[in-house]
Amino acid sequence: MGTKPSHTGISTTASDLEHAAYSPLPGHSSPASPRRPLKGFAGIISSCIFLLALVALILDQSQEPSHKPGKDEAPALTPKATSFSNISGPVARGVAQGVSAKSSPSFSGNELSYNWTNAMFSWQRTAFHFQPQRNWMNDPDGPLYHEGWYHLFYQYNPDSAVWGNITWGHAVSVDLIHWLYLPIAMFPDSWFDWNGVWTGSATILPGGQIVILYTGDTDNYVQVQNLAYPANLSDPLLLDWVKYPGNPVLVPPTGILPKDFRDPTTGWLGPDGKWRITVGSKVNGTGISLVYTTTNFTDYELLDNVLHAVPGTGMWECVDFYPVSINGTKGLDTSAGGPGVKHVLKASLDNTKLDYYALGTYFAENDTWVPDDPEQDVGIGLRYDYGRYYASKTFFDPVKERRILWGWINETDTANDDLAKGWSSLQTIPRTVLYDNNTGTNILQWPVEEVESLRLNSTDFDGVVVEPGSVVELDIGTATQLDILAEFEIESLGLEETNEVNGLCGSGATDRSSFGPFGLLVIADETLSELTPIYFRLANSSDGSLETYFCTDERRSSMASGVFKQVYGSTVPVLDGETLSMRILVDHSIVESFAQGGRRVISSRIYPTEAIYGAARLFLFNNATGVNVKATLKIWQMNSAFIHPFPLDQIH
Amino acid sequence: MDVRLIEQTCKQTPLYDVCVSILKSDSRSSKADVTGLALIMVDVLKAKATGTTNYIKTLLRGNLKGDVRRGLSSCADLYNTVLEADIPVAIEALQKGDPKFAEQAANDAGIEARSCESSFSGHSPLTESNKSVQDVSSVAAAIVR
Repeated sequence: MGTKPSHTGISTTASDLEHAAYSPLPGHSSPASPRRPLKGFAGIISSCIFLLALVALILDQSQEPSHKPGKDEAPALTPKATSFSNISGPVARGVAQGVSAKSSPSFSGNELSYNWTNAMFSWQRTAFHFQPQRNWMNDPDGPLYHEGWYHLFYQYNPDSAVWGNITWGHAVSVDLIHWLYLPIAMFPDSWFDWNGVWTGSATILPGGQIVILYTGDTDNYVQVQNLAYPANLSDPLLLDWVKYPGNPVLVPPTGILPKDFRDPTTGWLGPDGKWRITVGSKVNGTGISLVYTTTNFTDYELLDNVLHAVPGTGMWECVDFYPVSINGTKGLDTSAGGPGVKHVLKASLDNTKLDYYALGTYFAENDTWVPDDPEQDVGIGLRYDYGRYYASKTFFDPVKERRILWGWINETDTANDDLAKGWSSLQTIPRTVLYDNNTGTNILQWPVEEVESLRLNSTDFDGVVVEPGSVVELDIGTATQLDILAEFEIESLGLEETNEVNGLCGSGATDRSSFGPFGLLVIADETLSELTPIYFRLANSSDGSLETYFCTDERRSSMASGVFKQVYGSTVPVLDGETLSMRILVDHSIVESFAQGGRRVISSRIYPTEAIYGAARLFLFNNATGVNVKATLKIWQMNSAFIHPFPLDQIH
Repeated sequence: MDVRLIEQTCKQTPLYDVCVSILKSDSRSSKADVTGLALIMVDVLKAKATGTTNYIKTLLRGNLKGDVRRGLSSCADLYNTVLEADIPVAIEALQKGDPKFAEQAANDAGIEARSCESSFSGHSPLTESNKSVQDVSSVAAAIVR
């Protein structure tokens, strides 16, 4: 299939590009030498200089603003009066233009299909997100901790960059960040998984025995559940696995179709001492969660009742069910329960390819679960992630007592692109999950703290003011691998409010209103021909209260055709006294954005053609019409995680 | 032939007439459930993509201007993806019962066809073929859903 050249020639090109980016651009004075961390005092100085420059700009509209501060001044801010909404086309001030949001890969009629270069493809590979060296990956499987190693398994096609020939890939890490590839753990080599070793979960039994339940697609295309366990429990790497000879341990029960029975969960103990697992399915259009009890993981009893069901939600894939502590300080073992505990029920909806969760109460006496708010039930309420995200699964980390969440991030380019570049899909940075006991209505997700070990130098910006319709470059050096913490304050300009809102995030970041949008432009090039805004937008809702939307706008993330250009987002609760804050992990073709400490998360895939390598920049922007925005940021360069094969030959 | 099933299924697609005319004229739809109808539609998609690929090969043998030749070469690559990746993935996913991958693959076929159409800066010799492939792919994706 792919006859494109291999990657070996690319690194030269990449480093050439990096060097090229540092030479002065025509029309600019010599840029500052490779960026140094900015001390706070210098930050204040630069803010003052910037404010003076802004005043000068306001007084003289015709002045060309491209002069960069000289070397003696703090070089960190480059004021630009040009608004990127002006660049995209005339937008009337104060009135949001209605432009229909594109919900599928975008093609204007005039775009030529894109000629990708190897440099562009190469750039798309991430530095610190888990992905195999090549080929296709989907659902994370059986995450667990054993003898010093975190294990990740994943749906993997060893032969191609599209789905098929599914095996269980395997990798280990001591810190959830620096992963080492291991050999494939399970192949479809038995009749009960001949057509696929599909998704499954691990249960750690008291005493340390590990059991994995996974879905096999049999040689007759029937979905069944199979048991597997380590060949050698004392092997910390768990290289070899044994499939229980008596497989399958579960077949589709009466009333369940053979293609609607998959993705068994981690087990939890009930008050009677028996284990429970749940398997998602559907009956007519109702998504359901079947419950089985077992004492030995080989023999099961199906309960008459389901754990829960929600009409109209269709097939429930990758069901997950786990307790969270109401005081919201640490994660709980899957069997935890009692007072002070709520349970999260989650399903991946096959119909919409979206992951939904709900908080509720588990009644262990009869193995049912009831949502706290039926209007926010599974499949109709909250999502873990409002971007490109699916098939998520949690596990309990006993070392640091954390509930950790994995999620599969598919490509949003074309199959042709994936075959050409030779790979497809990523996993998110693992996230801790905690109950948000401030709102009481959602969980909080946050990248595991170990990702912070990748932080290199940092740059601080304090109180940068961004006026309506303007863009401010943040001089932080290479802008492709970043950890950004940002807080925003708004100051009203006392203008008349115009709050046209085309729903949620409107039609993107150029949809202007009084109180937004404002935020950051990531993976943007100097001329803003490509950019990805991540932003807040405030609006008065119909009942007079202030609503905050948190959004990511991919519409101008790339000039290439055939890639998705969605606007993603959601409302996010902001409590009295809270500052608007976001954290963004930028890692080449993936951007993970967290609002209000992880109340809402958006993962986005982007495939720029210009804003790559040294040409990628970071900007603040304010497209509100009625407020100034004051931003305070701390931005780290992120190191690579250098994910590579485990040196197995060295341990013998 | 369960005409009602065909009509019901086709109502959920964006191109009812295309859907109905294809399924009603295919004898396999008489014994098909919804998954079966989806597989028929994917098979029709395969036939159209194969036809377009053959047409591209024929055109490439002729005397062509540089930009047309380049466009056709692009299209050959794009349709190769449809035949070697999208169609097999769609069939496999439908047979095995993981329909979301079939939907994605069917949608992707339409995107590749659109990319092909955009490969020509001037007049495209494949407009009808590409449109046909796009139409069938959007119907197939909708049936899968």
